[in-house]
Amino acid sequence: MKQASVGRDIALAVGAFALLAILPLVFPNKSLADFVVRLSAFAVFATSLNLLVGYAGMVSFGHGLFYGLGAYSFALMLQKLGLSVPLAFLLTMVFSALVALVIGAICIRLKEIYFSFLTLAFQMLLHSIIIAWTAVTGGDQGLTGGLPRPPFLGIRLDDPRHLYLFCCAIMIISLFVMWHLVRSPFGYTLRMIRDNPRRTAFLGVQVWRVRLLAFVVAGVFGAIGGALMSLFVSSAYPDFAYWTVSGEAVFMILLGGMSVFLGPTAGAAILLLLNDTVTKLTEHYSLVLGIVILLFALGLRKGLLGFLVEAWSKRGAQTSAPATASRH
Amino acid sequence: MATSSSHHGTRRRLLKGAALAAGTLAFPMISRAQGKPIRIGVPTILSGRVAQLGISSRNALEMEAEKFNAAGGLGGRKIEIVARDSKGKPDEAANNTRQLINSEGCEIIISAESSAGAFAVQEVIRELKVLCIHTNSETSSLSADPKIRVPSAFRVARQGIHDAIVSASHAAKIAKAKNLKTWMTCSPDYAYGRDNTGLFVEYLKKFYPQAEIVGEAWPKLFQADYTENLTKILQAKPQALYSALWAGDLVSFVDQSSIYNLFAQTNLFAINMADYTTLTAVKNLPAGIHSATRYIKTFPANAENAAWADAYKGKYKDFPTNWSWENATAMSFLTAAMKKTNATESSKLADVLRGMKIKTPFGADGTITMRAEDQTTIGYALGWGTTIPKEPYVVEIQAGDWNAILEHEAQWKKKMGYV
Repeated sequence: MKQASVGRDIALAVGAFALLAILPLVFPNKSLADFVVRLSAFAVFATSLNLLVGYAGMVSFGHGLFYGLGAYSFALMLQKLGLSVPLAFLLTMVFSALVALVIGAICIRLKEIYFSFLTLAFQMLLHSIIIAWTAVTGGDQGLTGGLPRPPFLGIRLDDPRHLYLFCCAIMIISLFVMWHLVRSPFGYTLRMIRDNPRRTAFLGVQVWRVRLLAFVVAGVFGAIGGALMSLFVSSAYPDFAYWTVSGEAVFMILLGGMSVFLGPTAGAAILLLLNDTVTKLTEHYSLVLGIVILLFALGLRKGLLGFLVEAWSKRGAQTSAPATASRH
Repeated sequence: MATSSSHHGTRRRLLKGAALAAGTLAFPMISRAQGKPIRIGVPTILSGRVAQLGISSRNALEMEAEKFNAAGGLGGRKIEIVARDSKGKPDEAANNTRQLINSEGCEIIISAESSAGAFAVQEVIRELKVLCIHTNSETSSLSADPKIRVPSAFRVARQGIHDAIVSASHAAKIAKAKNLKTWMTCSPDYAYGRDNTGLFVEYLKKFYPQAEIVGEAWPKLFQADYTENLTKILQAKPQALYSALWAGDLVSFVDQSSIYNLFAQTNLFAINMADYTTLTAVKNLPAGIHSATRYIKTFPANAENAAWADAYKGKYKDFPTNWSWENATAMSFLTAAMKKTNATESSKLADVLRGMKIKTPFGADGTITMRAEDQTTIGYALGWGTTIPKEPYVVEIQAGDWNAILEHEAQWKKKMGYV
C-alpha cells in the first residue's frame, strides 16, 4: 500500500515536471519562464519555513538566514572556488545543515516568541557579517562579476532553457522530499509536538531532538531556495539575508495557506504575481500588499489553497450526505 | 514561340502581380514598424526613502524624450519610457530588467538604479546583451573593473574616483590657505560612504601631506539622530570635517550641527551638499559650507544649463537633481546614437556610443565624451564652491581640472590592477 502511494507520488512528480517542461513550448514567453524560475526558489523556501511554522509550530522569524546563506555559499563556491555546480550545490546543503545544527541547538529549546526573536537575531547577525565582510561578500554591493556555470552532465546553466528545467527539477524534487517527510512518522511526530509537546514527551519522544531535526531539514531546503535565486540573478545580495525575506515567506504561507502542503507554493505564486502586476500599475506596492494581506487575514484565514480545499471537502461531504442518508 | 512568349508574359504578369501584392502587404508592415514606439526600460527606485532618485531620473528622461519626439523621433518612431520600481532591492532590479526586455518589448535599458541595483542590472545585461546605460551609479568599479564591465553597458554619471580627486585637490588648496591640519570624517556606514571617504582621505594626504585624520564617525544610513557623532566631533575638535552624507541624512546632520554651533569651530566639506533638494531642505542653510556641485543651474555657467533647470522646474514644480542631469545626458547620448545609425539595434548603437562626444550644457567645456576604453563619461562639469543661505546657494565655484583627474585616474587604475 505504502509502495503504491510512493509510486503514485513519483508519477505525479514526473507528470508535474513534464507539464512544466512543456509550458515554455506552449507559451514561448520568456517572462513566464523567469516567473517559474523565481517561483521555484520561493516555493522551496516558503515550504521549508512551513515545515517549521505549519507542521512543527515553531514560528521562525529568521528563516531568511538560510535563504541568504544558501545564496551566498553557493555563489561564492562557484565564483571564488570555481567548483562544479553539483558539488557547490551539495556543499551548500552540507554547510547550511551544519549552521542550522548549531543555531538550532541554541534556539529550539526556547519557546514561542523567544524562539522567534532569537532566530531573527541570528539572521541579522548573518546580514551584518555579509555587509561587513566586504572582501569576500562584496559588502552591500553584493557579489559582482557574475557566476560561472561550468557545464555538467550535458546541462549548461548559462542557457536559459537549461536553467529553467534545472530549477523546475530541483523544485519538484525538494517538494517531493518534503511531502514525504511530512507524511512519514517524523512528520506526524512534528504535528504531535505542535499540538501538545508535553504529551508527546510522555510518549517517550525526545522533543528537542525532533525539533532540531526539523530545524536542520528546513534550513537545508531554505538554502536550496537561496541557491536557486542566486542562479537566477547570477549573484547574491545582502537583501537575501535581510529580515524582510523572512517576512515575505510568512506572507506566502499566509496567502496560500499553511494547512495544505502546497499552500506556500500557491502563496509564492500569488505574491510574485501581485508584485509583478502591481509594480506595473503603481508605485504604492506596499499599500496594495497590505490591503491584500488584510483581506486574507479577515476573509481567507486559511489561505487561498486552504480555503479551496476546505470548500471542496465540504462539497464532497454534502454530496455524500444524502447518499448516506438514503442508505440509512 | 508564341506559346513561349505567352508563357513569359504570364510569368511576367504573375511576377508583377506578386510584387504588387507583396508591396501592398509589406507597406502597412513598414508603416507599422515606422510608427512602433522605441520602448526604453528604466529600472529605478520609485518608492521608499530614496524615491526622489527615481522620480527625478524619470522626469529628466521624459523631458528629453518629449523633445526628441516633438522633433519627429527616429523616422516617425517615438520614444516611450517604461519605468519600473525596484523598491531598492537588487533582485527586484534584476527581475524588472528581465521583464522590461522580455515581456515589455524594451529595446534599450537606462538603468537609473542605485549602485547595488546597477550591479544587479549589469548581470542581466551580461546575459541578454541589450544596450544599457547606467545613470546613477557612481561606483567606479562598475565600468573601471574589466571583470565587471559588459560590452553593451555604458555609464553616464559621475564616478567616485573623479569626485575624490577633485574633492581632495580642492580641499588641499583650502587647507594650505587656511592651515587646516586636523581633519575628521563623518560618512554613512555603507559601501558608498566608506569608498568615497577612503579615496578622499587617500588623495587629501597625497595633495596635502600635513593633513592628519584625528577621528572618524560612521553614522548608519538613514540615521535620524546624530548626537553621538556630533559629540565625538566636538570632542576631537578637528579644524576640518569631510562628509559623504547625502540627501535627507545630510539635511538632518547639518540641522543638528547648527544646534551645536559646529560650523563656528570647524570647516565642513560636504561633497553632496550642492543639490537643490538638499540645499532647500536645510532649515537655515549656513554660509561657508564647502561642497561639490552635484547639480546647480549656475554651474557650468551657461544659458542652456539655466534654461534647462528652469524648464524642468516649470514642468515638474520641483528642482532638478544630480540624477536629473545624468539621465538627461544619457538620453542625449542615446538619441544622438540613434540619429547617427538610424537604428535602435543594441550592437549598432554600442558601436557609435564608444568614443562619442556630444554637446551638452552639463559638460565642463560644453561637451561630454563617452570614453571608449571603459565606456564611461568624462569631461562633465565638476566643481567645488561654498554655500550662501539664498539663491544661487553656492558661490565661488572652482572647476576641477580634467587633465589632472585623468592623470590621477590612470595611476589609480594601475594600482587597482584594472589596466
